[in-house]
Amino acid sequence: MNDHEKIRELLALAAAGALEPAEEEQVTKHMRSCEACAAELEEWRLLAGGLRRLPTPQPRAIIVERARARAEIGFAEEAERRWHRIVMISVVLFAWALTLLSWPLVRLISGGLLGMLDPRLNHAWLGFAVFTSVVWLAGGTAAVALSLQKRRERRLA
Amino acid sequence: MGLDSDVSQLRRGDLDALSALLGRYQNRLYRYLLRLVREPAEAEDLFQLTWLRVAEKIRKYDPSRNFDAWLFTLARNLAIDHLRRIRPESLDEPIPGAPGESAATRLPSAERPALEGILDRERTSRLATALDLLPVVQREVMTLRFEEEMKLEEIADVTDVPLSTVKTRLRRGLEKLRQTLETNYPGENWQ
Repeated sequence: MNDHEKIRELLALAAAGALEPAEEEQVTKHMRSCEACAAELEEWRLLAGGLRRLPTPQPRAIIVERARARAEIGFAEEAERRWHRIVMISVVLFAWALTLLSWPLVRLISGGLLGMLDPRLNHAWLGFAVFTSVVWLAGGTAAVALSLQKRRERRLA
Repeated sequence: MGLDSDVSQLRRGDLDALSALLGRYQNRLYRYLLRLVREPAEAEDLFQLTWLRVAEKIRKYDPSRNFDAWLFTLARNLAIDHLRRIRPESLDEPIPGAPGESAATRLPSAERPALEGILDRERTSRLATALDLLPVVQREVMTLRFEEEMKLEEIADVTDVPLSTVKTRLRRGLEKLRQTLETNYPGENWQ
């Protein structure tokens, strides 16, 4: 491909203002000596100009109003979801704190003050650990089920 | 009020800012969606969905990013999902032209009709129709460049493709558009 053909390949992009500065310079330089390419570039520029001047279709006013209303509802729902998340996180943190605090308490009640210093596990200690695990597992399953149901409801809405 | 101010107010949940942004972008966004899906009813649905998505995602918007690019990316993702669901074949439209070949090299310059007269309504309508015939990936780059007047880097951001791909789509789109006009209206004096 000679220089002339290479430049012709660039003309459409030149009209679109999409050339690198170096390419732009090459094209400008070539235009001075090649009338055919200058005419060709003018054609591309006219086409590009026509595209820039295409009329802008406008959405109907009722559609814009609906979009606004739906977005406002979306904002309210998003704020509600954020609030639910904050409440959920707070409840979980509170429950964990309560659980962790209750362990030494159970140990104290089941083994007395000295029992707390005993590193061995006793029956009450194991029972409490099993009980805590079961409660957390049940709570976690319920939370996941509820959240999935909510998501399904949102998708159907 | 400026765009940045409207966007930050919207991030704080100010619904007046939503109205301001809707007013600012309604025509541009609708035009972009219409160019992508071509059906006004579908573009209207997608227009509403885009603003709903804005409401859901605005808090995650990174203010250092160009808002136009962010907004058009949301709209594009919805439109592409829609096309994939409703008219999957429209996303697989072949990109015409073998590599290295271009309409510019195929057109004999002596017989090429001039395109200088694409100003009147009838010709504008023909141009819009020819634009609609382009594959969706070329059509969207053309509308983002010529109607939205986005920079090539912004187009690459919205369409999530490299800059070189944007240029290729732009060039092939223009060539195909010109070829379509000249094939459909042979001998037409565009002056």
